[in-house]
Amino acid sequence: MSNQNATIAVPAPRALLSHATRETLSNYAYLLPAAICLGGTVLFPILKAIHMSLYYNVLIKPQEYRFIGLGNYVRMVQDPTFWLTLRNSFTWVFWSVSLQFFFGFLVALILNGQFKGRAIYRTINLLPWIIPGVVVALIWEYIYQPNYGPLNDLLRRAGLMREPVAWLSNLNLVMPAVVFTNIWRGIPFFTIMILAGLQAIPDEIYEAATVDGAGVIQRFWSVTLPMLRPIIVVATATRIIWTFNYADLIFVMTSGGPANATQITSTYTLMQAYSDLDWGYAATLSVILLVIMLVFTALYLKLTKGVESVAG
Amino acid sequence: MVKDDAYYASRRQFLQTLAATGAIAAADLAWWQDPFLGPRRARAAASTVRFQFSVPEPLRISLVESLVERFNKSQSDVEVKVEFVPQAQARQKLITAVSAGSPPDCCQIWDNWVGEFDGMNALEDLTARIKDWKHYKDTVPVAWQTVTVKGKLLSFPWVVTNDAIFVRTDRAKEYGLKIPGPDWTWDDFLTLAKGYTKPDKNQYGFGMRGAGTWAVLYATEFLYSNGAQVLKDGKVVINSPESVRAFEWYIDLIRKHKITPPSVATDGYRQIVEGFGRGVTSMYLHNSGSVEEQKKFVGEPNFATLPLPLGPAKKRASFYFSETLTMFKAAKNKEGAWKFMTWLMDDEPNYDYAKTLGLLPTRQALADRPHYKHPGYQGFVKSFPFSIVSPYLAYAGWGGKLDSEGVPLVQQAMLGKISPKECLDKLAEVLTRNMA
Repeated sequence: MSNQNATIAVPAPRALLSHATRETLSNYAYLLPAAICLGGTVLFPILKAIHMSLYYNVLIKPQEYRFIGLGNYVRMVQDPTFWLTLRNSFTWVFWSVSLQFFFGFLVALILNGQFKGRAIYRTINLLPWIIPGVVVALIWEYIYQPNYGPLNDLLRRAGLMREPVAWLSNLNLVMPAVVFTNIWRGIPFFTIMILAGLQAIPDEIYEAATVDGAGVIQRFWSVTLPMLRPIIVVATATRIIWTFNYADLIFVMTSGGPANATQITSTYTLMQAYSDLDWGYAATLSVILLVIMLVFTALYLKLTKGVESVAG
Repeated sequence: MVKDDAYYASRRQFLQTLAATGAIAAADLAWWQDPFLGPRRARAAASTVRFQFSVPEPLRISLVESLVERFNKSQSDVEVKVEFVPQAQARQKLITAVSAGSPPDCCQIWDNWVGEFDGMNALEDLTARIKDWKHYKDTVPVAWQTVTVKGKLLSFPWVVTNDAIFVRTDRAKEYGLKIPGPDWTWDDFLTLAKGYTKPDKNQYGFGMRGAGTWAVLYATEFLYSNGAQVLKDGKVVINSPESVRAFEWYIDLIRKHKITPPSVATDGYRQIVEGFGRGVTSMYLHNSGSVEEQKKFVGEPNFATLPLPLGPAKKRASFYFSETLTMFKAAKNKEGAWKFMTWLMDDEPNYDYAKTLGLLPTRQALADRPHYKHPGYQGFVKSFPFSIVSPYLAYAGWGGKLDSEGVPLVQQAMLGKISPKECLDKLAEVLTRNMA
């Protein structure tokens, strides 16, 4: 018996995209706003800087704007001031970050202990970090002022100095002086990071180590340091990158002088962009700064075995 | 499933929808811009003048605000809106605005920037307008020189200043030192500076500038006293023998005679002015811009100014600089800008501006007023006969290079890292390389 009422199935219109593709696309669509923001604020400036670095682009000579390929990179390799600034940058970063870390760790250990007024000390400790960099630079420039600054005045009153010392004009003293200022400013950053790490270490581990006969130093080397390793790696890597690119302090205190003694690559880049208005060369220096930092970060994370926890 | 799929559009439908949406959006935008944005833009162009002013000190903000307010009250068809920009960023901001095609209608700039902006073909040629202006002939000729590029008048020289030496007269009396006359020599200068220098009291004879472009310019003025020049027959000659001898003498003031504060290599404008004001130094070289400040710092009767001392060649030069009012080619309201600029050059606004800031008016009628007879201004007035336009204005490319390469070289010489000759040889190389 045949079914006389049977309907003929009409094929549905073919979908524009398959179900799996639609699902994948909709998932990506959720990421789109973040991707657009990141692309616009991170990726585009990087690509633009690379693009600019391939051009002769001096703002006061718009008629000479032209593509010069790697011309700016060749100029950079032959520029003795660039190499000097790179050397200065390494000095500036090494001393700043290592001493910030050392003193930050020390302060964190102290503030991790139990004592009266600990909350007040923790707040006061944050002050140098809260003050804007430019203000810090102006304050310390005044402190170092040889003729009427408080530092020389105190040293003279204490009988430790007869003639004023020009802290920011002496070739041997100027870099230590700006590094000292940066150390003062950066200690709270390490203190806060390490303090957070210290407070996350369970007391039971220390108790177990004590029961096993570990002394204070052994507990520090075998428990505290390994447990803090992920925080230390992240904090030092972040701080190294910031310090390498940090121009405010030196720019305000010395403008890279005297005689380029404190000229680091980031201040030199600023100088090229805003004094010489040579945006092509400034972009080249920025690209090289980026490459140096990328290589450093990769090496650093490899050498320190990344941020995996000690347990992992 | 079949039912769900029925809602999906075909590729053709999708593309058609997309195209239709684009067309509607474009039409919508055109409609929206026309009635609302169009008239608003036209009205703004007719009445508003954008004026950019760079601020080296807070006093200027209130001064310029009051001048703009006075102007706006006196006008019915033009309104000036002032945009204050910190001096450190002013040049760069203007250059980027010009590059982007949106400069202000007019602005205040320093004459050493005029060449740069002309190089960018950004400035309006004001020659014809200025030559018809009512005070053209009352303006001192050297002031016009500071704003003339390739025969074109590109700005109004609003106020001018040259350089002279500030001297503490009260301290000279205290130490039994004789203040020389205006035709003093390098020897007189050194004797006086040595007399003032008492390191145990933190007192030094001369507050020399080591930071900023003027570290190079002030040094160059001393070189001119020995017959040196920066350019001769189109060639850079700043490392000539007479120039090197003069620079050796200048550097000896620091390294041999020790008459400058130990901070000399990083002392900028603020440090040399404050150093004198606080009694750390007893002489310094600067323009008239700090006269009014020193009247408050050290007291009106306690200082005077002298022209630069004569060098062994019996010559001297003081560099003339002007703060100018400029209009841009891309200005949207040129007539309004011209009206405002000429108003600022009128008697009372111009005199008020110059007097308040301790600068010299460019118009002779105003410079002859009694205010400029004070001893604090006499060094500048007496320097007029040998004042010249800064030789570093010759090439636009020299502006930034003096800062980025010239200053570190001078600092190296000051700190004994290189000899004065090496410094000038390298500076000559930098200048020659950037003669464009």
